[in-house]
Amino acid sequence: MLHMEHVRKNYGTFSLNCSLDVAPGCITGLIGQNGAGKSTAFKAILGLISTEGGSIRIFGKDLSEVSPKDKQLLGVVLSDSGFSGYLTIDDLLPVLSNLYENFDQAFFLSQAQRFALPFKKKIKDFSTGMKAKLKVLAAISHHAKFLILDEPTAGLDVIARDELLELLREFMEQGEDRSILISSHISSDLETLCDDLYMIHEGQIILHEDTDVILSSYALLKVNSQQYETLDKQHLLRVKKEGFGYRCLTKQKQYYLENYPSLAIEQGTIDEIIVMMIRGAAL
Amino acid sequence: MKGLFIKDFQLMKSQKNFFFLILAIAVGMAMYMENIGLISSYLGFIGTMFSLSSINYDEFDNGNPFLFSLPISRREYVLEKYGFGLILGGSFWLMGTVISMAVQTFRQARPPVDILPACLAILPFLPLFLSIMLPLQLKFEGEKGRIARAGVIGVIFLICILSGKLFQTLNLNPFPILQHFRGETLLAALVILCAAMLLLSCRISISIMERKEF
Repeated sequence: MLHMEHVRKNYGTFSLNCSLDVAPGCITGLIGQNGAGKSTAFKAILGLISTEGGSIRIFGKDLSEVSPKDKQLLGVVLSDSGFSGYLTIDDLLPVLSNLYENFDQAFFLSQAQRFALPFKKKIKDFSTGMKAKLKVLAAISHHAKFLILDEPTAGLDVIARDELLELLREFMEQGEDRSILISSHISSDLETLCDDLYMIHEGQIILHEDTDVILSSYALLKVNSQQYETLDKQHLLRVKKEGFGYRCLTKQKQYYLENYPSLAIEQGTIDEIIVMMIRGAAL
Repeated sequence: MKGLFIKDFQLMKSQKNFFFLILAIAVGMAMYMENIGLISSYLGFIGTMFSLSSINYDEFDNGNPFLFSLPISRREYVLEKYGFGLILGGSFWLMGTVISMAVQTFRQARPPVDILPACLAILPFLPLFLSIMLPLQLKFEGEKGRIARAGVIGVIFLICILSGKLFQTLNLNPFPILQHFRGETLLAALVILCAAMLLLSCRISISIMERKEF
């Protein structure tokens, strides 16, 4: 669905160098801090910015060959950009039905009613939640095959986030060849939704792993200085000095459970893994 | 492209108060002005400017990145803006001409068709105006765009004034030379000039948009 290979972009001191793949039928998450390069990567995929190297392929085509007809199959949500705030949903309906050949107006209307979105109110007067729901709704209402969603849940409360994620699950259930690339800095959203996750930091992909593997094989070891000295370090990804000794990130939880039964070994949330990948030292 | 046209017409609806104000001013001007043919040029230029303001509406609240992720090309976007400007400029010009002719009829001083040549003479200047203003609007966003447009209008006025002074100083009068040509020839030359300017402007605008980053 999407193949990015060493895509480079420089903004002053910031430098993006990103390689990423989204397979058909998969939900891929891109996770990172604010300013890590998520939005820059999305803009590069959508051709909104020029790149200084590397290649991007969508639907098997080089980005320069992607036509408006191909873009009919894309559904896009951008965190800091959307429909003109001076339009209402009533105004948007003829716009969307003329922009998208397969715009499903009945579905759009039913979902807009489900989310209690006002039809005659200007979008600029919508709440953050309403705006986010409208963006996602517009992205999934024209039978897209590939959703590119940059922070679709930003600024939403837990209930609204859950409703949106449910909408995305329903979207995926409607076709096996559908895919989603989604970014968020709220890891719990991606943990329950994504098949695989990319972690981006300072423009570089620092980790790519299946979500199942992250949840089952990654762990945090909390060890004191003595335990650390005797610890087999070949399976440690990152180490961070703490007051009690060391916090260590491993991808071989089972190995340490079996060989060091006395150690404090924690599952580790995705947030903790991110912190360790960023703040910890590589061995 | 149809979707873009609909979007711009929908956005125009939010300017309806401004539209009615412009219309009221035009009617007011027609009631009290001697040269009522000016109403069509006033409305024609205002109509054309709606295309420029629609670009501001697109840019509002960082709307462009999302707009250009929709199934449209940058080329289509530019062509739509020219089309929108020409349609509105033409419609407003027509409205101004109808108002002028209605007032002329009401005054019963001269036949209403007498003002048509004055109204028609302004028509080719609407695409010329669009040809100059649209690339500027696309190139410079927000405040910079306003400054650039004001600067260009100033330069055009300055060129006109200086040309007049130059002709005066050299004791030259270009109008007798123009009188050697038939009206149809001059009109054809003007239409060709407008079309050429529009094409050139369109190419420049497409090139500006294709280089833009959002």
